[in-house]
Amino acid sequence: MDFLWRSVNEEEKESIKKEAKAILDNFSKALARVEKQKTKDVFVERKRQTRKEKKAVCDPSFRELFFKNAPEKEGDWIKAEKGAWK
Amino acid sequence: MEIKEKIQKIKARKLTAEQNIKQFLDKIKKDNKRLNIFLHLNSNALDEAKKVDKKIKEGKAGKLAGLAIAIKSNINVKGLIANCASKTLSNYISTYDATVIEKIKAEDGIIIGMVNMDEFACGSSGETSAFGPIQNPSAFGRIPGGSSSGSAAAVAADFCDLALGSDTGGSIRNPASHCGVVGMKPSYGAVSRYGLIDLSMSLDQIGPFSKDVEGAKLLFDVIKGHDEKDSTTYENIEPNSNKIFTIGLSPDFEKLCDKSIYSLVEKKAKELSRKNGWKIKTVDFEHIDLAVQTYYPICYVEFFSATRKFDGRKYGSRIENVCGPEVLRRILGGSEISKEEYHGLYYRRALKAKEIIKKEFEKAFSQVDVILCPTVPRLPQEIGSKVTVEEMYGYDALTIPANLAEIPAMSVPAGKIQDIPVGIQIIAPQFSEEIMFQVASAIEKLK
Repeated sequence: MDFLWRSVNEEEKESIKKEAKAILDNFSKALARVEKQKTKDVFVERKRQTRKEKKAVCDPSFRELFFKNAPEKEGDWIKAEKGAWK
Repeated sequence: MEIKEKIQKIKARKLTAEQNIKQFLDKIKKDNKRLNIFLHLNSNALDEAKKVDKKIKEGKAGKLAGLAIAIKSNINVKGLIANCASKTLSNYISTYDATVIEKIKAEDGIIIGMVNMDEFACGSSGETSAFGPIQNPSAFGRIPGGSSSGSAAAVAADFCDLALGSDTGGSIRNPASHCGVVGMKPSYGAVSRYGLIDLSMSLDQIGPFSKDVEGAKLLFDVIKGHDEKDSTTYENIEPNSNKIFTIGLSPDFEKLCDKSIYSLVEKKAKELSRKNGWKIKTVDFEHIDLAVQTYYPICYVEFFSATRKFDGRKYGSRIENVCGPEVLRRILGGSEISKEEYHGLYYRRALKAKEIIKKEFEKAFSQVDVILCPTVPRLPQEIGSKVTVEEMYGYDALTIPANLAEIPAMSVPAGKIQDIPVGIQIIAPQFSEEIMFQVASAIEKLK
């Protein structure tokens, strides 16, 4: 296959999903060899950096740009369908 | 012209910022159709240049005064289109400046425009853009590498002085190598990602491109540092260098490469050692061959999570409806393996392997100051060539380890094979960017 961009149809979506799972299964199998090794738990520690709470600065042009980007709007509202996105 | 020389010329007013920007805009107008690098130009660039000229006259100009800087289309520049080379965000206008952009503007750099890339940074070839593939100006007809393809190509094509890209698994260094320019990925936490449209938040970094090491260092010095809007950032800790380095070479990297590419890089390392009196030592890695397998489960899951905001309500179109195959593969794959029933099998296992690889680098850096290896294991293929997904992912086998270990790495031109540029990669310990730049300068001087 080539990697050039193209739109994907429903049938191809299914095969891409299966292919992705197969690739990840192979990768996971290869990674099984690290399973018995001891490592520390992965977490992020940030003792040295703390967030300074400042007063919010309002950008007057933000509102205009924000609404410019909205696909569907009505007055001061962005319109979105109910329940279609899961 | 070297960046240092250009800055001196602009500051001495032998070249105005306006002239500098105009000559780039003329060149872009002439050649962009053929190379497909810029997606969107900054229509205010010339006006901004005039303002910078005024500041230069008053002696108030910043470090980047009058330089033209191209920006990867996944970094927000207020008022410009940040479409991530996708139909999802095809008309998305940034509502704010990313922290790196604020810093560039504060130093009077001029954003010349937004460049093409792999769609949502998903790719290593520059072919997955919804706006067509990017050409490699240094090897026409071949891939420029990716995903910051347009950033590397813009510098190589003389469309700008400097460029910004992002690097999650090699996306700065890979195209830098294929296009014959310098590209640098900072340590994780060295540069703020506030305003970067993320691919994989635990791995992404923003970094510079330049024709020379000095230019990359200049831009890195401007964008680095702690940002309260990105809690992963630190003030940089730059260790003093002893000037006499020990270079690490590893047979474990050699195994992953084309012979001719490794030989070229090894020759360069030996020349570097001889000329500077630096030692060479062999370092071993037990799990470096698992880097690609470690990277993709993390990337798939984090990308799936990152794309949930692209639901087509506040902006753009719903991503699954309009994206290309590679983006879809990562979304569907990420969705699948982050299910509760697979708990621990993919993402956590990959995080464990990431930690192991990170520890191996820490051990290696107790013996050597930097590690040298090729940036990309193969030469760039022709655009549109048929390759398997695994082969494509393998392109980043030598760059991914630095992302997993959260350490800095950069690519510097090493020479050519079949008239195609090949990069040498310098990998350094975390926050040792200063040492990395010193070694990169020394490699540059070998020319």
